[in-house]
Amino acid sequence: MEDIASRIVDKAVSLGCQDAVADVIENRSYQIRFARNEAVISNQWRESSASVFLVHDRRVVATDIKDLTKADEAVERLVKTAKASQPNPEYAGIAKGPFRYARTRPDPKVLSLDEGGKYVEAAVGGAVDQGAKECAGSFWKYEDEHFLATSNGVEGHDHRASLYLSIRALVSLESSGHGIACATKLSHFTPEKAGQKAGHIASLARAPKSGKAGRYTVLFDPLIFGSLTDQVGGRLSAWAVLAGLSPFGKKVGKRVASPALTLYDDGSADSIARKRFDAEGVPTRRNVLVNKGILKTYLHNTSTAKKFKTKTTGNAGLVSPDSHAVFVKPGDRSRDEIFSEVKDGLWLTNTWYTRYQSYVNGDLSTIPRDGIFHIRNGEVVGALKDIRLTDNLLHLMKNIVALGDEPEQMMWWGEVSVPNFVPYAVIKDVGITKSAE
Amino acid sequence: MNAEMDLVDFAVDHARTKGATYAEARFEKQEPENFILKNGVLDALYVGHDQGIGVRVLANGALGFAATNTLTKSAVRGIVDDAVKIAKASRRKTKITFAQEDSIAMNWSVPESKKLADVPVEEKIAEIRDVDKEVTGLGFKLAARFFNLSDNRIRKYFANSEGSHIESYSPRLRVFYFLTMLEGAAVEQTARNYGWSGGWEGVSTWGLSDRVIAEARSMHKSLTEGKKSPEGKMDLVAGPQVAGIASHESCGHPTEADRVLGREAAQAGKSFIPPEGIGMKVGSELVNVVDDPTVEHAIAYYQTDDEGVKARRRYLYKEGRVREFLQNRETAAALHTRSNGAARAVNYNVEAIVRMANTFVEPKDHTVEEMLEDVKFGVYMKTFMEWNIDDKRYNAKYAGREAYLVENGEVKHPVRNTIIELTTPAFWSAVDAVGKDLYFEAGFCGKSDPGQALDASMGGPTIRLRNVYLR
Repeated sequence: MEDIASRIVDKAVSLGCQDAVADVIENRSYQIRFARNEAVISNQWRESSASVFLVHDRRVVATDIKDLTKADEAVERLVKTAKASQPNPEYAGIAKGPFRYARTRPDPKVLSLDEGGKYVEAAVGGAVDQGAKECAGSFWKYEDEHFLATSNGVEGHDHRASLYLSIRALVSLESSGHGIACATKLSHFTPEKAGQKAGHIASLARAPKSGKAGRYTVLFDPLIFGSLTDQVGGRLSAWAVLAGLSPFGKKVGKRVASPALTLYDDGSADSIARKRFDAEGVPTRRNVLVNKGILKTYLHNTSTAKKFKTKTTGNAGLVSPDSHAVFVKPGDRSRDEIFSEVKDGLWLTNTWYTRYQSYVNGDLSTIPRDGIFHIRNGEVVGALKDIRLTDNLLHLMKNIVALGDEPEQMMWWGEVSVPNFVPYAVIKDVGITKSAE
Repeated sequence: MNAEMDLVDFAVDHARTKGATYAEARFEKQEPENFILKNGVLDALYVGHDQGIGVRVLANGALGFAATNTLTKSAVRGIVDDAVKIAKASRRKTKITFAQEDSIAMNWSVPESKKLADVPVEEKIAEIRDVDKEVTGLGFKLAARFFNLSDNRIRKYFANSEGSHIESYSPRLRVFYFLTMLEGAAVEQTARNYGWSGGWEGVSTWGLSDRVIAEARSMHKSLTEGKKSPEGKMDLVAGPQVAGIASHESCGHPTEADRVLGREAAQAGKSFIPPEGIGMKVGSELVNVVDDPTVEHAIAYYQTDDEGVKARRRYLYKEGRVREFLQNRETAAALHTRSNGAARAVNYNVEAIVRMANTFVEPKDHTVEEMLEDVKFGVYMKTFMEWNIDDKRYNAKYAGREAYLVENGEVKHPVRNTIIELTTPAFWSAVDAVGKDLYFEAGFCGKSDPGQALDASMGGPTIRLRNVYLR
């Protein structure tokens, strides 16, 4: 497969391309989706393809080649298309290699795993033990192998494998909880614990009453706090800033969050999205994005870095840089202590459907789902339903008042699009609205 | 694609020999082309040549699915073996069955007056660049703008173990644009999406330049003349885009039978409508909401679904009551009914699940002027920006982009960020007039795991809601 990546790059260069990148990917992932406490479908993928990026006279083109036996023809077609396209004056090249990469290997026990049923049963069992009646979710064994070559001297190989389980437990339509388990080592994989958490929240959320609009101090469970930090990570892409899709424009060096928040992106750290290099072949690394509330940098590839007069952060995306994995520096509060921070407020455990009225201002709303609780003096005094969080991303980040001391790896179905390592968080003055009848 | 068709037929036959009680295979070849023009600069042009085969089997009462893009007999044999093996490993207590359907032999295609494959990329880029120049020429302070033009040519061959053999060809075209306009410290943003099933001739039906210019002018008017939206109970006249998003979110999604049955519970959620909810009242008697894959040139047009079932029009809500769920063969069997052809997959490498196609409020006979003239005090919300809805599809929010105050039947000044935040029954029960100005826009509909963002369109005529709370 290395040969194919190099051959694609060589072919592109021979046809006059100034820059060429080929990432040959083998996908061997496996999944079980489950609902009503048992498998509804099992999926297996066996796919090989090449993501190709070429630049010819500053004309930038990309493709995915699915028939690798006809890669030469595909490159020829793409170069022809490039010649008919238009130049991108903002294109500033790809990183110059070669690079040295960290030595990482997937867990052989994850690689050899070919049956996930017992992990689904463990998760469902954990939830049912806590009182859940109906569980749904997904078990994943992700496995892909990348062979990267570029015209700037990069050759890289990365074999990635991880385990993931997402479970939603329901006692009834309106009483539910969600749990997540992520691991790169089989011995660290805890589906039963994820099920127990989902089941516990679902049971606690029995007989919810309609919530009330207002402004609240809110305790965010790691899953929903991860949704917010995922928004921060995504909106810090330099591409998003340029496209009008970010509230962080012109805010580097300025306060964008509470001093309690230090947040970094790190594709090199152990996570289910760990990778040795970005799409240009730049080694991944830790980049502090927000330090004690001050914005330090956007996420860059080589082209966006040049536009912002800085250096790549190793977050290419060849067109749009993006976060690899978001980490929040933990605070100092134990779980009990952080619950005690809330004298009279809410505990939210999950959310979805985050949408913006104004991306550049950060005005958004998102809909809490699963357990929603009224907290008084750190204790749950009732379950609630049918509320919406209506606020502003910067306002929320600036009002973080406390962080827990145990970050958890969260990723979930679009809302948390990359792994976010997040603890419990308390945010004050959070806007809550609800539907009129 | 004879070789690929042979592989599909082989996959079905081989699955039966391996013990599958039902098998289907789907070859897809997709040839997408798209680009983004961001702030006047062409970021990158993407040209795809995507193809592969997916196989789904029922074995021991469980479903297995496997996919490959290696189009050889040995690779296809391998995925069939995988699919049967993982299905048998499921050890389900309750057996999955499929509703009985007729087998079909068919070859259908969407007509293209001007074939997408024949349109040079220069022409496509020029089309969008011209629109970008015209909108920047208006002189408004556009802080950011991007246009995404995409087309796709989708060829499929489907076969199943019941004797269906279906070939199809769907060319599709779509433009999405996003504008950010400033006026002092105030910001207005918009996102719009137009789609078409057919050839390049679709571009001329959009009148894209006129629409983008009108949108930019309305943004400027909102920024310079807009006032705070009134709060309280009042009348709402909602334009086709608002009616469309509401019909998609609070009619289409809650009537998807897989949600109703809990199959999507951990991802896209469930439904406030229970399995026995056919006939349940959700709106006024004027409310008919339809999902129809056979609307010509709508972006989600098809004649057969991805389980080989013929497409047909479906009344989701009829006279304000739930009339029909969207069904595939699995959900139809569970609910003791027939499929209505709603199974779709975004590509060869994912299973077909229950999906909406083109969802809209069925038009009646009012003009917009007639609906406005009876409003003493209210808001005319033509378009929206932010929206969302909870996972049981009961609590929805639509935030206005272009909206105006209405007093004594007259449309007055723009109002900014009007918020509709209502339950599904509160929204649809307040409808007292339905217009005749049916209009569609395109969207992507997200569902399933792995996620399938699928072509959909949504629309309606202008509708009037009486005495609803707005802010």
